[in-house]
Amino acid sequence: MNEDLDFLVIAIAQGDVSAFSRWLASAEAPLRGSLVRFATVVDTEAVLQEAMLRIWSVASRFEPDGRPHGLFRLALRIARNLAISELRRTRATPVPSEMLAEEPEAAAWAPPDPMLQKVLRKCHEALPDKPKEALGARLASQGGEPDEVLAHRLQMRLNTFLQNITRARRLLAGCLSKHGVQVDPELSS
Amino acid sequence: MTQPPIPPRTPDPEDPLVEQVASAYRPMHPARIAAHPVWHDLSAQGRVRAFELATALRKVEAALDPEGLSSTARSVLSRLR
Repeated sequence: MNEDLDFLVIAIAQGDVSAFSRWLASAEAPLRGSLVRFATVVDTEAVLQEAMLRIWSVASRFEPDGRPHGLFRLALRIARNLAISELRRTRATPVPSEMLAEEPEAAAWAPPDPMLQKVLRKCHEALPDKPKEALGARLASQGGEPDEVLAHRLQMRLNTFLQNITRARRLLAGCLSKHGVQVDPELSS
Repeated sequence: MTQPPIPPRTPDPEDPLVEQVASAYRPMHPARIAAHPVWHDLSAQGRVRAFELATALRKVEAALDPEGLSSTARSVLSRLR
């Protein structure tokens, strides 16, 4: 990561949710990236969320070692150890050695590009109704409800809901691309 | 510079599963990490696709959020204990 977020540790340890939000906003992407080697063997989204929750729980006991990115390095270790535990819990075979390797150093991370934010809002506004509704339901649920529930609320079948999500992200990718914004190829897949 | 449009991919039977697993929803379990219910039904290739799609989606979600938070971060904040 570029910015050392350890200045937030005291506030997080004292239960300051907005400080933790700021830490999450910066730490999530590189922390997720550190789990790529586990993507085929554990559900990395579930591991990532649990690692973030544990950081919140242990922040009050965190002791800096004098090096930068201390809390983030702790998060990398927690995420890696959770992934390995999960792999051991769900598999009879030994954990492959490449997955036991030490966690990577803090990865480079870039904050959201203001150009992306501006254009994305415009592109989001321009989405057709159904894809916009489906994407809006996902965002509003904040990961708290399964797609079946969101689809039911919108009076869509699950498959229709998912097709609308796919359509929404492809349209967003196309719109961003038209505005000269570099798009992750997965978004339009 | 505008990127050339990416031609649509041939539909894959795993597409609906990948789309679900790429969401931030995960069931809550008091004692262990709970995977998305359909994550187990995905092939290795489908799991990688879901990982990559989630990475791309979170970037979009964070950019649309006034505080720069993705649905993963929002989900975590809603579960603070």
